[in-house]
Amino acid sequence: MKLHVEIEGEKVLLEVEREGGRVVAEAGGRRYELEVRGVGEGEYLLLHEGRVYECRVEQAQGARERGEMRVAVGAGEYAVTLTDTKHLRGARIAAGEHGGRAQVVAPMPGKVVRVLVERGQAVESGAGVVVVEAMKMQNELKSPKAGTVVELRVEPGATVNAGEVLAVIE
Amino acid sequence: MFKKILIANRGEIAVRVMRACREMDISPVAVYSEADASALHVRLADEAYLLGPAPSVESYLRIDRVIASARESGAEAIHPGYGFLAENATFARAVSQAGLVFVGPSPEAMELMGSKTSARRAALAAGAPVVPGATEALASVEEARETAARVGYPVMLKAVAGGGGKGMRLVASEDELPSAFETARSEAASAFGDPSVYIEKAVERPRHIEIQIFADSQGSFVHLGERECSIQRRHQKVIEECPSPINDARLREAMGATAIEIARAANYVGAGTVEFLVSDVTREFYFLEMNTRLQVEHPVTELVTGLDLVREQIRVAAGLPLSFTQDEVRWTGHAVECRVYAEDPERDFMPSPGRITHLRVPAGPGVRDDGGVYQGAEVSIYYDPLVSKLAAWGRTRAEAIERMRRALSEYTVGGIKTTLPFFREVMRDEEFAAGRLDTGFIPRFNERRAAESSRADEPSHEEIVRRDMAAIAAALAYSESERRGPQPQPSQAEPSRWKMAGRVALHNSRV
Repeated sequence: MKLHVEIEGEKVLLEVEREGGRVVAEAGGRRYELEVRGVGEGEYLLLHEGRVYECRVEQAQGARERGEMRVAVGAGEYAVTLTDTKHLRGARIAAGEHGGRAQVVAPMPGKVVRVLVERGQAVESGAGVVVVEAMKMQNELKSPKAGTVVELRVEPGATVNAGEVLAVIE
Repeated sequence: MFKKILIANRGEIAVRVMRACREMDISPVAVYSEADASALHVRLADEAYLLGPAPSVESYLRIDRVIASARESGAEAIHPGYGFLAENATFARAVSQAGLVFVGPSPEAMELMGSKTSARRAALAAGAPVVPGATEALASVEEARETAARVGYPVMLKAVAGGGGKGMRLVASEDELPSAFETARSEAASAFGDPSVYIEKAVERPRHIEIQIFADSQGSFVHLGERECSIQRRHQKVIEECPSPINDARLREAMGATAIEIARAANYVGAGTVEFLVSDVTREFYFLEMNTRLQVEHPVTELVTGLDLVREQIRVAAGLPLSFTQDEVRWTGHAVECRVYAEDPERDFMPSPGRITHLRVPAGPGVRDDGGVYQGAEVSIYYDPLVSKLAAWGRTRAEAIERMRRALSEYTVGGIKTTLPFFREVMRDEEFAAGRLDTGFIPRFNERRAAESSRADEPSHEEIVRRDMAAIAAALAYSESERRGPQPQPSQAEPSRWKMAGRVALHNSRV
């Protein structure tokens, strides 16, 4: 199996062959012969030259189609994006700022308690746009850039999901 | 002694109180909301009673339902834990009117200390130093402006009915005041049902140090030394220690004596905590507030003194004298506690609710984990995101930190973000190791981290191998899921749980 892997901003070509408890892999030209033991759902114990790597793979819901995973190795954690060279899946969707537009995105689920701007209003970079409350804490979401509020998609009292676009600044 | 106690709380503190009950051969009774039907505190109880729907105003804050459950179960006493009804004098009164025992101080003491302005007056009357500021609620933003100008910027805006950092804002200058005033008021209103706020002068490089006190109904008062709680985010504690790294016996005695005077003035009975701000520059201390309940961070005091504060609370509530005297209190070694929250430290500690898909809790010498969850449990959007309190004890502060570092490396939680990665870094931080703590620690720590990562060298060979292992594990998981074929996406099959919750909340606010 051949995959393009993006990890911590580095792109590497990964080739992995598994036969039962043995794995031969080549990552970015580095060759590994490993022992692998499945120790639970998404959990792998990898042994490389006597060293133990306890790995736990989490595929976030919805992120699976994009090939995005989080992998814990011991107490460390990495964001990993896989692209299968066969399916060419995992084409990453550019999010956030593109062109002259920037989005104000809800970083967590919550309830909108206040909207601090109006459509058409000019805002400075860092100016408060929307206040979202979750777990009894109020968080002021700020404009990522200076510009004009061209879209305002929520009003006070609305419930929002993580990742939902609340406003667009141009 | 009581035969049965109802615990009017949830999560790790409900579990903690049950442990003391079990040791005392008292049968623990749980109460729960619809969201907590299979929560750990329910699973560990002898009996469990449903209070109502998930939102706490319809469940854990329903005084009538809690008391009805106690009556139905035949419990003789109610332990409130912390949060929810723990500092609600109306509840304490309703409990005694129902012929039950409230495990905590009298409603009068709670009322006196529950309002920050009357607490300040009481502290002044007891001869305790207080931070300059107004003791009255501010009527308008104009009044706030005048008071702030009088005590001088920077100032702190605080909720009169406050606690837990809610409704609290640091204001550096006059132009920040109107918006901070509004936010603090609205946060106070939603958290405590009372929007009143007041102003205090902000102390320079303040250390947050508190004294644990205990009193019985026979009139004995003792203090159990201090806890350092300077490491805070959003004015909420995340790391606590006993003793403070200052570890000054004379300062401890002075603060302890002051705390006892304040408690005495309030006719206090049971466990209480007197919070002080200590200037790191002058070592002067000022009364901040008194919490009329058990504190989240009580385990560090327990580890160092060897006492069980919940057991002592229950004994005192049953009318027994304290099981120890001031002279018998010994402080041995050092303890550190990290509050493991379901929050993302990489995104400014944003809440990260969800299902815990994986959980491995550390154990071993000198390590204590007070948890409230299990693998498969849900961290709900409705409640405080505290998952567990991890504490470590050592003969010295350095040894306690080494143990904490080891325990943190064993601790793994999957499915949600937690504050664990943040703690792992703090335990390796030089300023932390040196004990240079004040409430500005986290912002400074973040700056150091940012500076460090910007001048980061090429990753080491060891790090490159670790990343490759992560990539290989991801590929193995991918190939296994490919073999199983596409799975239904539950996120599309069922409506968002959050939106459902929103509808429930909306519906209830209409009626």
